[in-house]
Amino acid sequence: MPESTIISTQNLNLWYHEKHALQSVSIKIPKNKVTALIGPSGCGKSTLLRCFNRLNDLIDHVKISGEILLDNMNIYAAGTDVVMLRKKVGMVFQKPNPFPKTIYENVAYGPRVHGVKGKGELDIIVEQSLRNAALWDEVRDRLDDSALGLSGGQQQRLCIARTLAVEPEVILMDEPCSALDPIATAKIEKLIDTLKRDYTVIIVTHNMQQAARVSDYAGFMYLGKLIEFGQTTQIFENPHEDLTENYITGRFG
Amino acid sequence: MSEKFHTELDRLKQDTTEMVQFARDMLSESVNALIRLDSAKALQVVLKKKHIRDVTITLEDRTYQLIALYQPMAKDMRVIACTLKMITAAERIGRYGKDIANMVKHLQDQPDFTQSLPIPPMADQVLGMIDDAITAFETENIAAIKDFSSRDDMVDALWHSIFRETLTFMMENPKTITRSTYHIMVARYLERSGDHACKMAENIYYMVTGERIDIK
Repeated sequence: MPESTIISTQNLNLWYHEKHALQSVSIKIPKNKVTALIGPSGCGKSTLLRCFNRLNDLIDHVKISGEILLDNMNIYAAGTDVVMLRKKVGMVFQKPNPFPKTIYENVAYGPRVHGVKGKGELDIIVEQSLRNAALWDEVRDRLDDSALGLSGGQQQRLCIARTLAVEPEVILMDEPCSALDPIATAKIEKLIDTLKRDYTVIIVTHNMQQAARVSDYAGFMYLGKLIEFGQTTQIFENPHEDLTENYITGRFG
Repeated sequence: MSEKFHTELDRLKQDTTEMVQFARDMLSESVNALIRLDSAKALQVVLKKKHIRDVTITLEDRTYQLIALYQPMAKDMRVIACTLKMITAAERIGRYGKDIANMVKHLQDQPDFTQSLPIPPMADQVLGMIDDAITAFETENIAAIKDFSSRDDMVDALWHSIFRETLTFMMENPKTITRSTYHIMVARYLERSGDHACKMAENIYYMVTGERIDIK
């Protein structure tokens, strides 16, 4: 692959108790590209996504083997600063989850935790993050209003702005549009397209058309295995594996 | 959803196969009418033009509906894409049949010398290619279309041969210019129909394998 790799996994295995949820997954995520992970429910795509910022650490009885390199550093190595890792690898979830605070505070929260104190500096970060999340024009006059008063689509873009505020390298998105209407979805998709200039985006989605529209690369997972990975056009026009073909043409799943 | 889609897609493919067959028969009947200078038969072909137009619209609409409702991908997308191209090719072939049939009335009072020109073998060659394209589309077996490049070369050679021969007739006897011009047009329409068969073959190859080929 000509692009440089930002995250790679080698023989990654993950067990929830006895359940072997990820089986020898080896994948290279290209930098400054959008990579989509697709597959039927329970195939391991969200589990894989959560490995990239060690969110699975929060779940009991999870066992992991193999390695995950972010910028050539093993993120599961002893002594890894998980807070710094999650700063570098931000995440947006299925349901918008703004803090019950003002719009401003939602975005300023992360930088503050990471030591930014000055009001002027925070103002700049908040404005820039909201601009980058394509939300600034809609909220510039009501930054002190509660974030919970925003529409679902606006809340999701606020969550993206919150992620951007701590200057991550990678943004993980787990079904970011599944709770949104088509107009809000279109805005998020357009945003994803602009985000890849500065960030690497990895998105999990059940919506195959969305995966085809927004991603440059796509990986199809099934029963914990990465069945096929390649350029999105190849995966959706001419997949090499029968399992991929059968899934994306709706013959199972 | 997927079962309904695949049933409709299968039906669309089957109806498209029938449409290509219908267009192929128009071309075949028009050449027969021309060789026999049978104006009644030719008129029957001309009247089929409306049907081929109606079927084109109906099948295209059904294809667009499937795209709009199901956004097909992978092989399904390639079947849809190929089907649209087959419909277009079939309509063109049918219209060439109609155009050839339309010439029969102009040639009826002219002395016949179609027998001296290789129009029948050229028609056989083109119809054979269309038949094989139909088989390959229906069965998704690309073996039948593998040698289309050389078969198209043969069609082109026959077209050039007819062109040169007819030119000689016209130079020798200017009274033959009218009918010779019609014969050149017939050969040209057959040659174009051969090209459409090649285009169908290229699209069928893409439908089956996902790979592009260029039949020259």
